[in-house]
Amino acid sequence: MSSNFGPDMTETIALDIKNIRKTFGTLEVLKGISLKANEGDVISILGASGSGKSTFLRCINLLETPDSGEVTVSGNTIKMRKNRKGQNEPADMKQVEHIRSELGMVFQGFNLWSHLTILENLIEAPVHVQKRPRAEVIPEAEAMLEKVGIADKRNFYPSHLSGGQQQRAAIARALCMRPKVMLFDEPTSALDPELVGEVLRVMRSLAEEGRTMLVVTHEMGFARDVSNRVMFLHKGLVECEGPPAELFGNPKSERFRQFISGH
Amino acid sequence: MDYLTVLGFGPKGWGLALLAGMAITLVVSLAALIIGSAVGSLVAWAKLSKNLAANIAGDAYTTIFRGVPELLIIYLFYFGGSAVVSGIAHMFGLEGFYDIPPFAAGALAVGLISGSYQGEVYRGAYIAIAKGELEAATAVGMNRGLKFRRIIVPQVLRFAIPGLGNTWQLTLKDSALVSVTGLVDLMRESAMAAGSTHRYMTFYLAAGALYLLLTSVSGYLFNAAEVRATRGLRRSN
Amino acid sequence: MDFNFLSSTFIRLMGALPLTLELWALAVFFGAFLALGLTWMRARKGRILPGLSRFYVFIFRGTPLLVQLFLIYYGLGSIKEVQQSFLWPFLREPFYCAVLALAMNTAAYASEIFRGALAAVPFGQVEAGIACGMSRLTVFRRIIFPIALRQALPAYSTEIILMTKATALASLVTLFEVTGVAQKIKNDTYRALEVYLVAGLIYLVLNFIIARAIAALEHYLSPHLRAIPASKRIPDPADVL
Repeated sequence: MSSNFGPDMTETIALDIKNIRKTFGTLEVLKGISLKANEGDVISILGASGSGKSTFLRCINLLETPDSGEVTVSGNTIKMRKNRKGQNEPADMKQVEHIRSELGMVFQGFNLWSHLTILENLIEAPVHVQKRPRAEVIPEAEAMLEKVGIADKRNFYPSHLSGGQQQRAAIARALCMRPKVMLFDEPTSALDPELVGEVLRVMRSLAEEGRTMLVVTHEMGFARDVSNRVMFLHKGLVECEGPPAELFGNPKSERFRQFISGH
Repeated sequence: MDYLTVLGFGPKGWGLALLAGMAITLVVSLAALIIGSAVGSLVAWAKLSKNLAANIAGDAYTTIFRGVPELLIIYLFYFGGSAVVSGIAHMFGLEGFYDIPPFAAGALAVGLISGSYQGEVYRGAYIAIAKGELEAATAVGMNRGLKFRRIIVPQVLRFAIPGLGNTWQLTLKDSALVSVTGLVDLMRESAMAAGSTHRYMTFYLAAGALYLLLTSVSGYLFNAAEVRATRGLRRSN
Repeated sequence: MDFNFLSSTFIRLMGALPLTLELWALAVFFGAFLALGLTWMRARKGRILPGLSRFYVFIFRGTPLLVQLFLIYYGLGSIKEVQQSFLWPFLREPFYCAVLALAMNTAAYASEIFRGALAAVPFGQVEAGIACGMSRLTVFRRIIFPIALRQALPAYSTEIILMTKATALASLVTLFEVTGVAQKIKNDTYRALEVYLVAGLIYLVLNFIIARAIAALEHYLSPHLRAIPASKRIPDPADVL
């Protein structure tokens, strides 16, 4: 699924993350993590709790601010600087907001806006952040609702939907932003087991479309069958990474072997 | 005359008078609280009852005493009550104006108002008692009287403490309105002092400070009581 | 039952209702803005602004409204500097003093309500807005404020109904709103019971109307808290067949 036609085709690199470090208080959660994602890559990020995988994902769209390291989205590097206390902070919030609008995030807790209908949830950011006209966004939103299978729920409120339906709506909401890369933070962890399948099916179809996806997950089936790369984090460092067939079929890392046997 | 003299305890000082007023405020408020707890228990019982008439009566009581200004209720009891008493006296040939003692009228009025708030507190506290505990009491063979005394009352009091703390502070502040009947509480004393010395700022600030003392000490005491009463109770938060 | 007296009393008291409503509306309006300011101060980092806000709330919730009213009307009115300032045309008028006292009082309670409502906005929904690229102002405008508003309405509606009762205290600084006129009629006719009962009834009806209006507003603003309307529910195939 990934294409590397030559040494200098930087346009196909959707996401280039270099050496992210992050400390919370006295605990160093990320000790230098790097990742390069080409367009169309579907990368599963695995790890035990506390390995830093969610924190890493949240550093990409700066929901957490890394202490050091560099994030580049489609050739656009997020400019950072040190504030008065010596801490890392974004130098240009407008740039950060723009880059965020090109990244679609799907949260473990869905986080649909409770006071808006499903349809209103989908068009909110395209209209108010990307400043696109409603007449253009609404048909696109309806198409996305069709795609994830909840077109009949467009005028309902999130509280009226099941967990699986809410998560599919959240995915549709991210899709409406026309994202360059989609970030999934444990999208099925908060769902009842029987609802997990409908969400994974949607994610699989997105992968088959060629979308660039980073997925922090515990779903081994997805990691093995749908993603084209797997990255295993252990205590803030990349323990091993590579194509799933290689990693699952012939695990060279003892820690990873233990991890998959436990799941 | 400087501030210390005028607020102090000397012959020209109003300090003693203010403290005396504060004592009256406390006593009126306590009387009102006690009246309110009796009335409030009745109201809570009425609202919790399966009897429709009782429900309506309870709701009506709460609506009236929460919907009419406290000042008006005090006027009603004091002036209205006095008018009734005077009218009765006139029927017997006596002349002049006979009034209900301001203390009684004030305590009754504020007490009935407090009762409507306390009713809600007790009702909520009763509902919060886990049904399982009541069932266990029945299963063990307690009769209604025993259940009420040994299980319901202690538990209700426990859950009611925060709400009661709030109601008590409300009652303290409402008591200031009883001064319109002429009762010499903290409010009336400071008004008299302010009027006679023309030091309005000084004495109303002093009154405010003393009321603040009463409400904050009360708040502290109720918090401490809540901590003590809920030890052993596992809170969901 | 002297219906003549009752009805003439009723008419006279209703004539004072506009003043009651004016006091109430202005107090609620200015009090809300003051409360927003207090809530804003409370949310700042550092110690001074939040400390000032907490102190204000402590004072105004810990002392009777009557004391606050007299402090503003009599207290401020007795200070020479105030009498000579540009504020004097306002502070000498009982009406403005009453509005000020009522507004400052309700602001203390309202700011606590607003603070609780803001804290109740689920942070995940705020994060979702940030993750979409919304600026802080946009997140506040489109996500935080609408949700907090709906959270605050029930408690705030109680507060503004309490305010109608508070306007009665204005009668103690020579204003002739409903309670003030009631006192006057009582003093003229000595028929205390009847006058007060009619006045009480007027307040009850007023509060009932206000409560209904707010309930309608709450209903309109919270379709997301109600059950799915029957018209939109997808029929169960078992029912249709």
